[in-house]
Amino acid sequence: MFHWLEKNPFFFAVGVFVVIAFAGLIEIVPNFAQASRPVIGTAPYSTLELAGRHVYIKNSCNACHSQLIRPFKSETDRYGHYSLSGEYAYDRPFLWGSKRTGPDLHRVGNYRTTDWHENHMKDPAAVVPGSIMPAYKWMFTNKADINTAYAEQLTVAQYFSVPYNKPVPMKDGSTKTVKMGASVAEANALALEQAKEIAADMKDQDVKDAVAAGEIPEIVALIAYMNSLK
Amino acid sequence: MENRPLEYDYTVAKMFMLTTVLLGFVGMLIGVILAFELAFPSINTVLGEGLAEYTNFSRLRPLHTDAVIFGFTLSGIFATWYYVGQRVLKVSMAESGFLMFIGKLHFWLYLVGVVAVVVSLFMGITTSKEYAEFEWPIDIAIVVVWVLFGISMFGLIGMRREKSLYISVWYYIATFLGIAMLYLFNNMEVPTMLAASPAGETGFGAWYHSVSMYAGTNDALVQWWYGHNAVAFGFTVPIVAMIYYFLPKESGQAIYSYKLSLLSFWGLMFVYLWAGGHHLLYSTVPDWMQTMGSIFSVVLILPSWGSAINMLLTMKGEWQQVAASPLIKFMVLGSTFYMFSTLEGPIQAIKSVNAIAHFTDWIVGHVHDGVLGWVGFMIMAALYHMAPRVFKREIYSKKLMASQFWMQTLGVVLYFTSMWIAGITQGMMWRAHDEFGNLAYSFIDTVTVLHPYYTIRGVGGLLYLIGFVMFAYNIYKTMTAGRKVEESELQNASPMGA
Amino acid sequence: MNKLYLGGIIFTALMLVFTYISVGGSKGGLNGDIVNMLAVAGAVALVIITVFVVVKYVRQMQTDTAEGELADESWDNIGEYKNPVPMGWAIMFLGTMIWGMWYFIAGYPVNAYSQIGEYNEDTAAHNAKFEAQYASITGDKLVAMGESVFLAECKVCHGLAADGIDGKAANLNVRLEANTVKYVIENGSNNMLLGTEMPMPDRNGLFNANTGELITDAEIDTVSQYVANGMQGEGAEIFAGVCASCHGMDGKGMEYVAPNIATFDTALVTNVLNHGKKGVIGAMPAFDRLNAKQKEAVSAYITSLSAQ
Ligand code: HEC
Ligand code: HEC
Ligand code: HEC
Ligand code: HEM
Ligand code: HEM
Ligand SMILES: [Ca+2]
Ligand SMILES: [Ca+2]
Ligand SMILES: [Cu+2]
Repeated sequence: MFHWLEKNPFFFAVGVFVVIAFAGLIEIVPNFAQASRPVIGTAPYSTLELAGRHVYIKNSCNACHSQLIRPFKSETDRYGHYSLSGEYAYDRPFLWGSKRTGPDLHRVGNYRTTDWHENHMKDPAAVVPGSIMPAYKWMFTNKADINTAYAEQLTVAQYFSVPYNKPVPMKDGSTKTVKMGASVAEANALALEQAKEIAADMKDQDVKDAVAAGEIPEIVALIAYMNSLK
Repeated sequence: MENRPLEYDYTVAKMFMLTTVLLGFVGMLIGVILAFELAFPSINTVLGEGLAEYTNFSRLRPLHTDAVIFGFTLSGIFATWYYVGQRVLKVSMAESGFLMFIGKLHFWLYLVGVVAVVVSLFMGITTSKEYAEFEWPIDIAIVVVWVLFGISMFGLIGMRREKSLYISVWYYIATFLGIAMLYLFNNMEVPTMLAASPAGETGFGAWYHSVSMYAGTNDALVQWWYGHNAVAFGFTVPIVAMIYYFLPKESGQAIYSYKLSLLSFWGLMFVYLWAGGHHLLYSTVPDWMQTMGSIFSVVLILPSWGSAINMLLTMKGEWQQVAASPLIKFMVLGSTFYMFSTLEGPIQAIKSVNAIAHFTDWIVGHVHDGVLGWVGFMIMAALYHMAPRVFKREIYSKKLMASQFWMQTLGVVLYFTSMWIAGITQGMMWRAHDEFGNLAYSFIDTVTVLHPYYTIRGVGGLLYLIGFVMFAYNIYKTMTAGRKVEESELQNASPMGA
Repeated sequence: MNKLYLGGIIFTALMLVFTYISVGGSKGGLNGDIVNMLAVAGAVALVIITVFVVVKYVRQMQTDTAEGELADESWDNIGEYKNPVPMGWAIMFLGTMIWGMWYFIAGYPVNAYSQIGEYNEDTAAHNAKFEAQYASITGDKLVAMGESVFLAECKVCHGLAADGIDGKAANLNVRLEANTVKYVIENGSNNMLLGTEMPMPDRNGLFNANTGELITDAEIDTVSQYVANGMQGEGAEIFAGVCASCHGMDGKGMEYVAPNIATFDTALVTNVLNHGKKGVIGAMPAFDRLNAKQKEAVSAYITSLSAQ
C-alpha cells in the first residue's frame, strides 16, 4: 500500500493530511466551551487597561514575563493563588509566555504599586540592583493608542459577547460594570478619567502635566494594566 | 531514460540560497546581541537612548526568532526544495515556463514578506504569539507565498519522470501541508477595523490591528498546537528531507533501510501532532490533555531517532569519509544533535522534569541544540553541497570549512552546557524553601546568579556566528573564485579546494 | 575495550562529576525535592544515553560494512537497501507505545490524577511541617526568620539594607523620617494602621493645647524633627500639646486610639502588611498572602533594625 501511495502524490498528500489533522481536533475541541467561561471576579479590561495591554504586547514583555502561576507551593508563595482557566476568559491573545527571565506577572497588581512601577520602568536597576530588565524610558513620552483599544473593545463586545456596560459578578457578591464609551470621544474621556487616578499616584512631572493636558503617555496605560492583574 | 544528464535549472534555488545566507547572518547576529544583552544589559543603550526602543531585548527577541525561522530556515527549505525537487523527480524547472514564473514570483513575494515582517516587528506591531507574531496583512502575504510554494511543489511533482517519490519528497510534502494547516488555524483573528461605535464612527485605531478568535486557555491550546508543530514542520520534517538527500548523495552510500524510513516517516507524522500539550504542563488546560502531551512526547523519541539512526547506518563502514570530509562531519554531527534534542525534549516533557525546566534557560538550551546543531548544520551542509553544482565551481576552501566546523561545534557545546546549568540552577532556586519554610530566594537572586552562564552562552553564540560568517565567505568565494569543475566531478563527494 | 567506549565512559564520568559539583555548589541544591532529583537524573540520563547510542553507531561506521539487497529504484543515483528495521529500535518503539497506554489507563489514570489535588497535598504537608516546627519560635530565631521573609519579599522595594533606596520606599532603619511626619500632620492619615478605619485628622484638626490654636507651620517643622529624631531634642512641648493626647507622652501610642510612632511594633507592621499603606513616599501593597507567623517574624526583624 505504501509503495502505491508513493507513486500517487495526491493520495499520499491526503494520507499525510488525515494523519496529522485529527490530533488537533482531539486536543482542542473537547474543552473549548468549558475553557471560555469566566470565573466569578473576572471583568473585561477597561479602555485604558486594554491600551496598556497593547503597550505590553508591543514591547513583547511576554518575551521575559509569564502570566501563569503553576500549582506549586513555591509559586503560590511567590506570586499568589495558582492561575485558573476562567481568569483568562477575556485575554485575547493569552499572554502566558514561555520564558521567565523576569518574574511572573499574573497577580502583580496585588503586590506592586503605581509609584513602584514608575520607578522600575524608568530604570529597573535603580530599584532592583542587578536587574537585567531594559529601561523603558520612551514609554514616558510615547502616547498610548486609545482609539485602537476602543476599536478592540467594540470588536470583542460584538463578536465574542464580552460584557461591556453590563454587570459582572464579583467574588464578594457585588457586581462590577466596566464601561465602554458610545463614541470615540467618550472612550477617550473614560480612559483619561482613569489615567488621572493613576497619574495622581505618580511622581514624574512631565507625565502628570501630559495627563492634565488630556494626553495619556504609554506608561500610564501600562501601569493601569499592571494594576489590573490580580 | 536518457543518457545525457538533464540540465537542471537552479535559478530559483540560487535566489533562496542568497536569502538563506543573508537572513541567517542577520538572525544570528541579533541572537548574539540578545545573548549579550542578558549578560550585560547596558548594551541596550550603546546605540543611544533614542534607539533603545528598537534595540532593547524585548523588541529584538521576536526579530531573532522570526529571522532565523522564517528567514534562514524557510529560505533553506525553499532553496533545497528547488534543488532537490528537480533532481529526485528527474525534471528540470526549465521545462516549464509556468513553474519558472511561479518560482520567481514565490521568491519575490517572499522577499516582500520578509521586509514587511522586519519593519513591523521593529515598530512593535505584533500579536505576541510566539512564531506567529504577524498581524493579518502579513498573514495574508504568507498564505500567498505558501500557496505559490505549493503550486511549485505539486507542479514539479506532476511533471516528474521518476514515478515513485523519494523519501525527501515525502517530507517536503508534509512540510507544506503541516505548515498550511497550522498557520491558518493559529492565525484566526478578527481585524478591529471592522468595528463601528454606537455613534456610527468607523475606521479609527490602527488599521492592521486584530484580536484573536480564541481567548485564554483556548488560545494557548491552539497556539501551542501550532508552536510545537511549527517546530515539527519547520525544524524537523524539512530538515530530515534534507539529510535524506544530501548525506547519501555526498557520501555515495545507499540508504540503510527503506522500512526504517517508512516507519519513521509515518510514525513521526502520526505522533508529532499529539505532543503539543508538553508546552502547557501544569497550566490551566485539563490534566488529561497534559498527560497526553507527555506520553506522546516520549513515544516520539523513536520515530525521530529512526531517521537519525537510518542516516548513521547509511554511513556504516564509511568512517574514512567522515574523518576526511568536513561536509560529511556537519551532517553526521547534525544527526547526533538531532538525536540529542529529540531525547532532551521528551525528558523535559515529563511532568516532574518540566516542573523545573519550564520557563527556564534549560528550554532555551534545548531549542538551540536543535536549531544550531541540527537545523543550522544541515542547512549549511546542504548549501555547501549545492554550491559546486549550482555554480559549477569547486568549494573554495576545505580548510576554512573544517575550522568552521570545529568552531561552531565548540559554540554549540558552550551554548547548551551553559544554558543547561543555568536552567537547572534557576529552576531549583525558584523552588527552594529555607529552613523556616519561606522562599529561600527573591527573584532577583535567581537572575544575578545566571550572569556567568549568560556570558558563556554569548561567547558560544559568537563563535557560532563567526563560523557562519566563514561559511558565507566560503560560499561567496566559491561563487566567484572557485576552480571551475566538470559535471563528472560532481557525482558524489563535493570537490573542494585546499 | 575499544577507545570509543572508553572515551564514552570517561565522558560520562566527567559529566557526573560536573553535575555533582554544579548541583552541589548551586544555590538551590537538590534540597530533598523529588522534582529536583528527577530533573537532574533526566539531564544525566540524556547525555549518557545519547553518548552510548551514538558511540555504538560510530563503531559501526568504523568496523562494519554496508550491505543488503538494493531496491530497484534509485533517485538521482541514491540507492536504498531493503534492510529490516533495527531490532532494538523496533522493540523500544513498541515498548514506549505499550508504556504510554499503561500510563494513560493505569499508571496515572486520566480520571484519578489531579494536579490541584497534588498541590493541596504538598501544601498541607509543607505547612504542617513548618507550623509544628516554628509554632513557638522567639527571639533571635524569630528575627532570623523575619530576615528571610524580608529578603525574599520586601527587599525589591525597601532595599537590601532596608533603607528605602533613596526615598523610593520607607526607610525601615528608623521609625519615621521627618518628611513622612510632616506629610501626615499636614494631610492626616487614613491607612488602617490600627487595623480598623481610624483616621488621624489633618492640620485643620490638630490643636495645640498649649496655645489653644491650630498647629502652625513652624510647629509642624519642629515636631516633625522631634518625632523623626526618636522623640528627642526640641519640640517636646509641642508634641505634648498636640500629639500626646492620642499617641501618648512617649509616642508609643494607645490601643484603639493611635499607633506607636516612637518604635516599630508587631501590631503596626502587621497592620501595614494586612492593609498596605499610602503616604508621601508612595504606596505599599498589602501582603496578606504571608501567614501570621511570617508577619510576626518580619515585624520582629523590622523592629530589630531600629532597636539599637
Ligand atoms: C530582558 C528581560 C525583560 C524584559 C524584556 C522585561 N522585563 Fe520585566 N523584569 C525582568 C527581570 C529580570 C525582572 C526582575 C528584576 C526586577 O525586578 O527588575 C523583572 C521585573 C519586572 C516587574 C516586577 C515584578 C515583580 O514581581 O517584582 C515588572 C512589573 C516588570 N518586570 C514588568 C515588565 C514590563 C511591563 C515589561 C515590558 C514593557 C518588561 N517587564 C520587560 C526582565 C525583563
Ligand atoms: C486625634 C488623634 C491624633 C492626634 C492628635 C495625632 N495623631 Fe497621629 N495618628 C492618629 C491615628 C489614628 C493614626 C493612624 C492613622 C492611620 O491609620 O493611618 C496616626 C498616625 C500618625 C502617623 C503615621 C505613622 C506611620 O507609620 O505612618 C504619624 C507620623 C503621626 N500620627 C504623627 C502625629 C504627630 C506628630 C501628631 C502631632 C502633631 C499627631 N500624630 C497627632 C491619631 C492622632
Ligand atoms: C511595592 C513596593 C513595596 C514592597 C514590596 C514592600 N513595601 Fe513596605 N513600603 C513601601 C512604600 C512605598 C512604603 C512607604 C509608604 C509611605 O509611607 O509613603 C512602605 C512602608 C512600609 C512600612 C511602614 C513604615 C511606616 O513608617 O509606617 C512597613 C512596616 C513596611 N513597608 C514593611 C514592609 C514589609 C515587611 C514588606 C515585605 C513583606 C514590604 N514592606 C514590602 C513599598 C513596599
Ligand atoms: C521528540 C522531539 C521533541 C520533543 C518531545 C520536544 C519537547 C519539548 C519540550 C517539552 C519543550 C519545552 C516546553 C516548555 O516547557 O516550555 C520544547 C521546547 C522547544 N523545542 Fe522541543 N522537543 C523535541 C524536539 C525538538 C527539536 C528537534 C527542535 C528544534 C530543532 C525543538 C525545538 C524546540 C523549541 C524552539 C522550543 C521552544 C518553544 C517555546 O518557545 O517555548 N524541539 N520541546
Ligand atoms: C548565533 C547563534 C545564536 C544565538 C547567540 C542565539 C541566541 C538566542 C537568545 C539569546 C535567545 C533568547 C533566549 C531567552 O529569551 O532567554 C534565543 C531564542 C531563540 N532562538 Fe536563538 N540564537 C542563535 C541562533 C539561532 C538559530 C540559528 C535559530 C534557528 C534556526 C534560533 C532559534 C531560536 C528560537 C526558536 C528561540 C526562542 C526560544 C524560546 O522561546 O524558547 N537561534 N536565541
Ligand atoms: Ca518561547
Ligand atoms: Ca497573525
Ligand atoms: Cu513542543
